[in-house]
Amino acid sequence: MARFIARRLGLICITLLVVSVVIFVITELLPGDVAAMILGKEATEESLERLREELGLNRPAHERYLSWIGDVLRGDLGDSYALKMPITDIVGRRLRHSVILAAFAFLVGVPAAVAAGIWAGMHPNTKLDRLISMTALVGISVPEFVTGLLLILLFTSTLHLLPSSSIILPGVNPLTSPQILIMPALTVTSVLFAYIMRMTRANVIEVMQADYIRTAILKGLPMKRIILRHLFPNAMLPTITVIASSFGWMLGGIIIVENVFAYPGIGQLLLRSIETHDIPLLEVVTLIIAGTYAISNLLADLSYAALDPRVRLA
Amino acid sequence: MNEKRKNETPLLEVDHLAVTFYTPHGTFNVVRDVSFTIQRGEVLALVGETGCGKSISAFAIVRYLLPFHPGESRVDGTIFFEGKDLIAMPDSELQKLRGNRIAMVYQNPGTSLNPTMRVGLQMEEVLKQHLRVESKQAHQRTVELFDSVGLAEPDRIGQRYPHQLSGGMQQRVMIAMALACDPDLLIMDEPTTGLDVTTEATILDLMVDLKQRVNAGILFVSHNLGTVARVADRVAVMYAGQTVEQGPASAIFKRSKHPYTTGLLQCVPQPPSEDETNTRLRSIPGDTYAPEEVNLQACLFAPRCPMAQEMCHTEAPEILSVGDSHQSRCFFWNNVHKGIWGELEPRDEGIRETAEPVLNANKLQRFFGQWQRKYILFGPRVRPPVRAVTDIGFEVGGGRTLGIVGESGCGKTTVARLVAGLIPRQRGDILLRTEELAPMIEERTDQQRAALRMVFQNPTTSLNPKLPARHTIVRSLQKLARLSRKDSHERAEELARAVRLEPAYLDRRPEALSGGEQQRIVLAAAFAGESDLIIADEAVASLDVSVQAQVIKLLEDHQRESGTSYIFISHDLGVVRYISDDILVLYAGHIAESGPAECVLNIPSHPYTEALLSAVPIPDPDATPTRIRLGGAVPTLRERFQGCFFAGRCPRKIGPICDNTPPPVHIGPGSPDHAIHCHIPVEELIKLQSD
Repeated sequence: MARFIARRLGLICITLLVVSVVIFVITELLPGDVAAMILGKEATEESLERLREELGLNRPAHERYLSWIGDVLRGDLGDSYALKMPITDIVGRRLRHSVILAAFAFLVGVPAAVAAGIWAGMHPNTKLDRLISMTALVGISVPEFVTGLLLILLFTSTLHLLPSSSIILPGVNPLTSPQILIMPALTVTSVLFAYIMRMTRANVIEVMQADYIRTAILKGLPMKRIILRHLFPNAMLPTITVIASSFGWMLGGIIIVENVFAYPGIGQLLLRSIETHDIPLLEVVTLIIAGTYAISNLLADLSYAALDPRVRLA
Repeated sequence: MNEKRKNETPLLEVDHLAVTFYTPHGTFNVVRDVSFTIQRGEVLALVGETGCGKSISAFAIVRYLLPFHPGESRVDGTIFFEGKDLIAMPDSELQKLRGNRIAMVYQNPGTSLNPTMRVGLQMEEVLKQHLRVESKQAHQRTVELFDSVGLAEPDRIGQRYPHQLSGGMQQRVMIAMALACDPDLLIMDEPTTGLDVTTEATILDLMVDLKQRVNAGILFVSHNLGTVARVADRVAVMYAGQTVEQGPASAIFKRSKHPYTTGLLQCVPQPPSEDETNTRLRSIPGDTYAPEEVNLQACLFAPRCPMAQEMCHTEAPEILSVGDSHQSRCFFWNNVHKGIWGELEPRDEGIRETAEPVLNANKLQRFFGQWQRKYILFGPRVRPPVRAVTDIGFEVGGGRTLGIVGESGCGKTTVARLVAGLIPRQRGDILLRTEELAPMIEERTDQQRAALRMVFQNPTTSLNPKLPARHTIVRSLQKLARLSRKDSHERAEELARAVRLEPAYLDRRPEALSGGEQQRIVLAAAFAGESDLIIADEAVASLDVSVQAQVIKLLEDHQRESGTSYIFISHDLGVVRYISDDILVLYAGHIAESGPAECVLNIPSHPYTEALLSAVPIPDPDATPTRIRLGGAVPTLRERFQGCFFAGRCPRKIGPICDNTPPPVHIGPGSPDHAIHCHIPVEELIKLQSD
């Protein structure tokens, strides 16, 4: 097992390296000039040249990449081109915000989705099952920005309960004003809930047909034990992969949600770094997101192995 | 004691049981009228063909019906267990009986055990649930139970997961679990179906042994008359959802009083140890009564019955007593005897001459998988390939049938696929008459492709579900026989008649055809190309005996008329014995024995052939079973055998030579083609096996 983990971590490092090269190449190919972006349209050719010199932009691309990656490996993430601040400071704060939002949605959404999925799977085609499944279908089909705007319409414009924007001032801990988290978290959860619930429901229906569930029932076991010991571990196997990849998605993929609510998370940062061609910042944000995906997939495989002896012991 | 018991209420009393499913697709009368009783210490076998309702009757006893058909179900009639009404019993009370007083063993032990739970725990939870014992006692009892069903290392087996056990071991675990609370009634639903014949034999031995030790009534559900004869005290025969005959095993097998039972018994190919089979197989014409039909004002078997009279079509017979605890649902039971199905036709032996060999395979080899290095970054962990077929050669004579037998994993299917070119061989060569065949089917010429056809086990997956059956045959005719559109449709109807199907059937989709009809369509398509060789891989394995007999006879007729050769692959030695001229016995990717059928299946044979033969259950309750049993499982085939491939399980192993030296080939008596791959000299084998 230790070997397996070590190998996978090694592969993750290689993956991240490849991602960093790809991102670098893409930004090189994109039209636009960093210096012009920072200084604006009015800047003189002279001042642009000075800024390029300062940022080292007039060196050849491979040289810049190598010096950047060398710094990163030494633990120095460098400064943002656009914000002129150490990247560690910018990303650290944003990452904390995103993790809080993700954890909020995750801790509420996943257990609720799994529970609803199990119930619906055990009572397929009942009225409540149809209601749950329909809600889930709506959750998947409606894009996040629509869900977000509908929530704002309901809670802010109509009920006047929650603030429409979730701006957090620097130095403020978002947990001190949890009301700003509610709507972004609900939006994220609605999609998450839908995917995981549907997945769980389908698996529960399938596993309920399995011969070993018949065995468990005809052994005279109480329903509670059948669900916990026989149904749950087997029905969760395929769901785990979905849960893990959704965690990756929540950290990086919720750009739209963060923008709708002006929530200063890592997704918003990603968008801004692309707009400004802020290569060092873009690289770091991308690597964090890619790394989260990779690690959560590793965790999924590990929990899969923990639940399924056929994987663990084969 | 026995006298006293007779007066007591029976352990289980099922009376006029009927089960109806109401589904969106219609109403299904799956069980129409089933009555039987089981006494303590007695084994009642419920026998019948697919769809006769035997399993559903068994599951109705423990009220487990929903999964068979989604939708509503209705149970009529009564089921009394020790005088208590099981149908009316509240769920909570039933739960206390399930697994405790009434325990079950199922058809597929592999899927009936929870894959994510150690088997010991799955066992202990039954004990804890019903006997309210502590963990320590439960564990101790588990070890005892594992020991009692003959599992080796009973104290350690509980730590394993189901996938780490062989099929036979899994079924032993299931049986031990069923015995956990010392039940009064044990329901076994096809407990040996799907297991290899050698494993089946050991499980049946265990059952015979359990009969002596356990004071439970056993309901044994099976379609296999051989296994039934081995274990049953009494037999209930089911047809189209009704019990049609019931009585002591010897009466049912020897003096049956229902035409269906007599017919069924004659459909089974004679046991392989019998002398030359020179009469043709019997088959029961027609198809079984479908569960959606409701006309109960007739004997349901009448349409297929050779002695049906006017009244059989207008009146429904009741169960009648026809002898000492022997009942039959037939108006004319008194006239039933073995001869009602007519004299058995003699077999035409004239065609069984060796002409030029059609196919010649030499030193075939196929390994699956590469030498794998499992961990790329941190050093290699080597996993060798599976040596599925190692050095196998054979010849198929013109107009002859080569039977290939062996347990699952012996390489028989791989051999078929190598010959058909579905997977490429890695070594060796295959000659079709004189032409060398390319390893892959894509590289073969059109004539070569037309010359070789394959028929698979499952006809449902061999036919395109979206297209009418006609399509499969017509396509074969156009592609392989190069017929025009018009001609091919005419020829398709001829072929349909040749496989005893009305041409109207050709326009049905596969789902509207029964399994036997589907397989006949597949055969018609295989016959279409006028091939030199048809490879039938377990082609009759999924069919019921009466249908199986029809299909085998079709193959036989076609061979006689067209001189086509067959490679017939089957795990059923009786069937192989009946149809084959030559036999190849495979074990672990090696040839154990080969030669003309009558030589291979007679003394002397390779110890593996001997074990296979003695494992075949014989449909005769008086037959004394031979006691050669194979322990263990087929080797994984990842290692190269240093010595004899069979040394690990051989009951006649003679010493270290078996482990170190590959066996020589001895020429057996009877034919120069009879080859036995064994260290034991032929004379010695004769002596050993005659005792």
